[in-house]
Parts: sequence; C-alpha cells; structure tokens
Amino acid sequence: MSMSTPISAITPVSIPQLSPSASTPGATPGAFQSVLEGLVGGVEKSQAQAQQTVNSFLSGGNEELHSVALAAQRSSLEFDLFLQVRNKVVSAYQEVMRMQV
Amino acid sequence: MSLFSSLSVSASGMSAQRTRAELLVENLANAETTRTPEGGPYRRKDVVFEEDPTVGSFTSELNSALGSNVSGVSASQTIVDDSEPLQRYMPGHPDANKDGYVAFPKINPAEDMVDLMGASRGYEANVAAISAVKDMIQKSLDLFR
Amino acid sequence: MLENAATGTERYMNLLSASQKLVSSNIANVDTPGYKAKDIDFHAELASLFGTQEPSAVEVSGLKTKNDGNNVDMDREARRLSENALRFAVATNLARSELATLRSAIEEGKTSS
Repeated sequence: MSMSTPISAITPVSIPQLSPSASTPGATPGAFQSVLEGLVGGVEKSQAQAQQTVNSFLSGGNEELHSVALAAQRSSLEFDLFLQVRNKVVSAYQEVMRMQV
Repeated sequence: MSLFSSLSVSASGMSAQRTRAELLVENLANAETTRTPEGGPYRRKDVVFEEDPTVGSFTSELNSALGSNVSGVSASQTIVDDSEPLQRYMPGHPDANKDGYVAFPKINPAEDMVDLMGASRGYEANVAAISAVKDMIQKSLDLFR
Repeated sequence: MLENAATGTERYMNLLSASQKLVSSNIANVDTPGYKAKDIDFHAELASLFGTQEPSAVEVSGLKTKNDGNNVDMDREARRLSENALRFAVATNLARSELATLRSAIEEGKTSS
C-alpha cells in the first residue's frame, strides 16, 4: 500500500460577517445610502429655491411669472430624477438580496 | 410682478389721454360760448402731461435700476387760457359790450379736432400695449404645464 | 444639476419682459413734454458676461425730437411691442421643449418592475 498524504482535520472557515452598517445609524454609510442622500439634498435645495421664488412673487416682489414657472418645473424635474434613481437603486438592492449565496 | 406693473403704466396712459380728450371735447362744444357762470366767454382748457415714476412700481422695483426707468404718465395740470378773448363786432348780440363787441373763446376747432385724434390714437396704443403684455403673461402660464 | 435647465432661454425672456415694460412706458408717455424713449440694448446684454444681473435701460438713439422735447416714435413702439410679444412666444415654446426633452430623458429608463 502506497503512502497517502494524511488527511488533516478540516479547519472551520469563518464566514465574513456582513457589516451591519446599513441598519446601524451613525456607522459608515454604504454606497447605496450615500447616493440617495446626495439626491435628496439636491431635491430639497431645488424645492426650497422654487418655494422662495413663489413666495417672492406672491408678496409683490420683483419676480417674473416665467421665472416662477421655470423654477417650479426645475424642482419637479429634480424630484422626478430622484424618484427614478431611487426606484432603480431599490430594485438593484432587491436583486442583490435575492441572490442565493 | 414685473410684467404686471407695465399694465398699470398703460392704464395711466389711457387715463391721461382720456382726460385730454375730455377737455378737447369740452373746448369744441364751447367754441362759441360767450356766456359762462364765471363771467365772460368760455376759456380754452389744456392739459399738461407729466412723467409719473410712481405708477406701477412696487417698492422692490423702485430700488432697481430698471424699475426707476419705468414710468407712467399723469395729466397733472389743467391750464386755462387766460389771454385776451377774441372780440367780434356784433352790435345786436345780447352779450355785446357798449362798443358792440362780443368776446368769443379763442378756440380753433380744426386744431382741437386734430388734437382729439392724437388723444384717440394715444389711447388705442395703450390698449394695444395691454393686449400684448397680457399675451406674454398667458404664455408664461403655459410654462406651468 | 437640473437648476441650469433652460437658463439661457430664461435670461432672454427676462430681457424681453424688461423691454416690454419700457415700451409700455414710452407709449404711455408719447405726449409727455421732454420725455425720451428708452429700451433694452439686446446686443450688449446678450454679449455681456454678467448673465444674472438686471438688464439696464438705455435711451433709444436715432429718434427725432419734437418741439416739446419728446422723442417717442409711435411706429417704432408699435413695432417693438409686437416683436417682443412674438419673440416671447417663441422663447416659451423653446423652454417647454427643453424641459420636455429633459423629462423624457429622465423617464426613459423607467421599467415596470
């Protein structure tokens, strides 16, 4: 009988823990979260700007009506963009979660 | 409110031209009036137009360089002609003086008629301005859709 | 990112509105003694680098002065009135199509999931 390599014991392999950062507030944000936060910031800014233009117009300020309309439209487009990206991000996330490990 | 303020400017133009037209009509109607409650013949009235920077400006606009250039108009003064009236020799006239002369208003109807046409044209032009500005405002509203 | 959508067109509309206000003033003051007609110098404003500033009014050149010092030319003002209104209509259509293009680009990637 030929000498075979002795089989050593199977060493346990540690499964790397998924970092709980997504669920823990204050931890390092994941890629998804920072993208969404950036978008939310942009939407908030454009909505605040649009609101300010409207207020100025309504209180007899120097705003032209077409400026008010364009500000409102830009804010609406910004929000639309945010919505579409969020949907894409969420569905991508769900796709990942569905993957069988 | 910027474009809206030009509506007030045009409205002031209409108002001023209307005042002018009313005075001219009064002149024409009284071209031969020899007797008035104040005594003497009718005296021709004229109107003075003055640039009015307060028309159509909101406070915020007055502070802007453009806003101070936008101004309406006002028929600020009425001038009564107090020069010597025309004297015509009409001895039988009830208003004749001891020499037989009657004092008549110093009005040239043809001149006032031409003036009246000018006032009418000015009025119409302001109406056209309001119409054009209204179109622009409505186009702005289309941007909301 | 989208705050610059249609800003060029918006600036053009600002200039047209400013001009229309001055044209209205000129028309209202067509018979005011001593009044000088004013307008916006479109070439200068569009060439200017300061896009966000308010346009400035300039006295119109090449007008005849009447006896009372007024130089408003009613034919010119009538022409400017129509011109501004028509160009403004073009500009609003331009702006709307710019916004529509952006909107369809944003919604283009929409899936039914």
